[in-house]
Amino acid sequence: MFKKLLIANRGEIAVRIIRAARELGISTVAVYSEADKESLHVALADEAICIGPARSVDSYLNMNSVLSAAIVTGAQAIHPGFGFLSENSKFATMCEEMRIKFIGPSASVMDKMGDKINARAEMIKANVPVIPGSDGEVYTAEEALAIADKLGYPVMLKASAGGGGKGIRKVDSSRELTAAFESASQEAQAAFGNGAMYIEKVIYPARHIEVQILGDSFGNVVHLGERDCSLQRNNQKVLEESPSIAIGKTLREKIGAAAVRAAKAVKYENAGTIEFLLDEKTSKFYFMEMNTRVQVEHPVTEFVTGIDIVKEQIRIAAGEALSVTQDEIEIKGHAIECRINAENPAFNFAPSPGKITDLHLPSGGVGLRVDSAVYNGYTIPPYYDSMIAKIIVHGENRFEALMKMQRALYELEIEGVVTNTEFQLDLIADPHVIAGDYDTSFLMETFLPNYNKED
Amino acid sequence: MALFGKKDKYVRINPNRSLKREVERDVPEVPDELFAKCPACKHMIYQKDLGVAKICPSCSYNFRISAQERLALTVDEASFEELFTGIETKDPLNFPKYSEKLSQARAATGLDEAVLTGKANIRGQKVALAIMDSNFIMASMGTVVGEKLTRLFELAIDEKLPVVIFTASGGARMQEGIMSLMQMAKVSAAVKRHSNAGLFYLTILTDPTTGGVTASFAMEGDIILAEPQALVGFAGRRVIETTVRENLPDDFQKAEFLLEHGFVDAIVKRTDMPDVIANLVAFHGGAK
Repeated sequence: MFKKLLIANRGEIAVRIIRAARELGISTVAVYSEADKESLHVALADEAICIGPARSVDSYLNMNSVLSAAIVTGAQAIHPGFGFLSENSKFATMCEEMRIKFIGPSASVMDKMGDKINARAEMIKANVPVIPGSDGEVYTAEEALAIADKLGYPVMLKASAGGGGKGIRKVDSSRELTAAFESASQEAQAAFGNGAMYIEKVIYPARHIEVQILGDSFGNVVHLGERDCSLQRNNQKVLEESPSIAIGKTLREKIGAAAVRAAKAVKYENAGTIEFLLDEKTSKFYFMEMNTRVQVEHPVTEFVTGIDIVKEQIRIAAGEALSVTQDEIEIKGHAIECRINAENPAFNFAPSPGKITDLHLPSGGVGLRVDSAVYNGYTIPPYYDSMIAKIIVHGENRFEALMKMQRALYELEIEGVVTNTEFQLDLIADPHVIAGDYDTSFLMETFLPNYNKED
Repeated sequence: MALFGKKDKYVRINPNRSLKREVERDVPEVPDELFAKCPACKHMIYQKDLGVAKICPSCSYNFRISAQERLALTVDEASFEELFTGIETKDPLNFPKYSEKLSQARAATGLDEAVLTGKANIRGQKVALAIMDSNFIMASMGTVVGEKLTRLFELAIDEKLPVVIFTASGGARMQEGIMSLMQMAKVSAAVKRHSNAGLFYLTILTDPTTGGVTASFAMEGDIILAEPQALVGFAGRRVIETTVRENLPDDFQKAEFLLEHGFVDAIVKRTDMPDVIANLVAFHGGAK
């Protein structure tokens, strides 16, 4: 096992990782920007190293600084958390060259799954259903038109080198296709130096179902069931739960097996998540993408399986075998997570940084967990993500979990900054949410329009 | 924050302490070749970020490269024909350790002298080409360097070729004394004959181009280009400062300073260099 671990992240996930490491008897090194001097992860870690100014590119994304911190402290491993450098294969390569264990998959696997067309081809090979679309890159509008006509509309045009929403167009009919293709391809050429596109059928509305997997260096891969993350605002997840109400035992086994096949196909090591779109009408599911890191919503899976995903990540990286087999994994009860953000729902969820003047985080009872990095008197810096806490509850069944979440949100008091707590309370009280009757369109197209009217 | 003051006593039960069979894990370390320090901006640069052209991603300083690397970056594939090899470097002054120094430099660079000469095509343009290599006794100009360059100009006159020289030098080769200084005049005379024949001569000043080379053929080009932030000068900064008893500007003897004061015609990034050379050669009539 490692003796010392560096956490290349901030906020609640850094705190979460420090706690797991400490329970494993590993000493911890926090890194922080000048804006995060007073952060909880800095206070909690055994050592803390400032790695640069407030801007992420100068600090948390500055590979030389992060690696220098690891070298001077003698950290044998780096946990990247999520975001920042967590899916940066160059960083993983540099770690390897310096004999530092990067807690995550290898750089080559990251590259393989990061390239969308490549990932798609791997999945087809592994017999994992993918969203119907073009077989490879598409270069001309005529080619695109033929493919789209065959798939049926609406379709999505995506830049094959894409990212950050550039070079993406939704096309509703064949009349719009040529113009959309030309402009998206030009945009991609300008942004990525590569105008190649690919085409996918639009599966919308659908459920966003993701399967948590764990793989070790001995080739063992297990899945820990699914999470339903369909409640999203602008592609940002708002509330996540496990298991999904839309999935029965048979489908769970099928989708879980597909996820394990996917991970085994690329010889995946460490924790990862395979995202699927589930078409409820047909019960068909389609591979969307793989996230090669721990996710924000991992605690719901931890609650229903009893497995500490972050500890497993560290053990796997240290060369140990998985502590569980697939047969031993049982989904018990129901878990829900609400993300608490410092944002103002009345002003289109604008970020609301500032000083927390009074704070009470909910606690007590069976099955309540709060993952947060804020404390009374803490000033939320304006430079980073606005998520300040995750309230996670676990109940015997979904209804008990919802009641527990309601109780927890009532107890949550944050003064000094505006948060989305009230919004979350309203969301879990919505009849559709109580009934579990929602998909990826629900929050934006049904809930929010009515919500804003009431205000 | 005053929380967690008990930190150093925090972990009393340590599961790792009882595990005697534990294999010692590697301690992190930085392999020597992994990073380079940029001489210009002093940043630590991940070697792979420099790319084959060896350009600092932070300040775009063009790192010093070997003659062979320069050749690969500049000329059309398999078009280079090396000429004037095998001219023996003599030690006329019996200068202490000069012979050892020469054989060390030959072994380290794979070159027989501080300049590589020959004929090549650059983006299809036929040129007589010389590349000086600062890894070879700081590309100092001895009799053989002077001789190779002179023969290159003579060949260019015979075959009606433009001449392109990438200069780099610490100056005259002190181990050869006055014979070395004589090369300034000898090469300059060859440049003049080449010019009289109506042929085009292009120099590219690379880091560092100093001393007698600057004082002769480096500054005699019909057009003079330079690489970004290259040091170009005659005497060194310290020598001048102590002589004139004045503080010199920070960018003194930098390519950019020279451009501003009219000694250089343009600063060209290494990656753009082949295109720029080919265009300039073509504008001036190319090989005749």
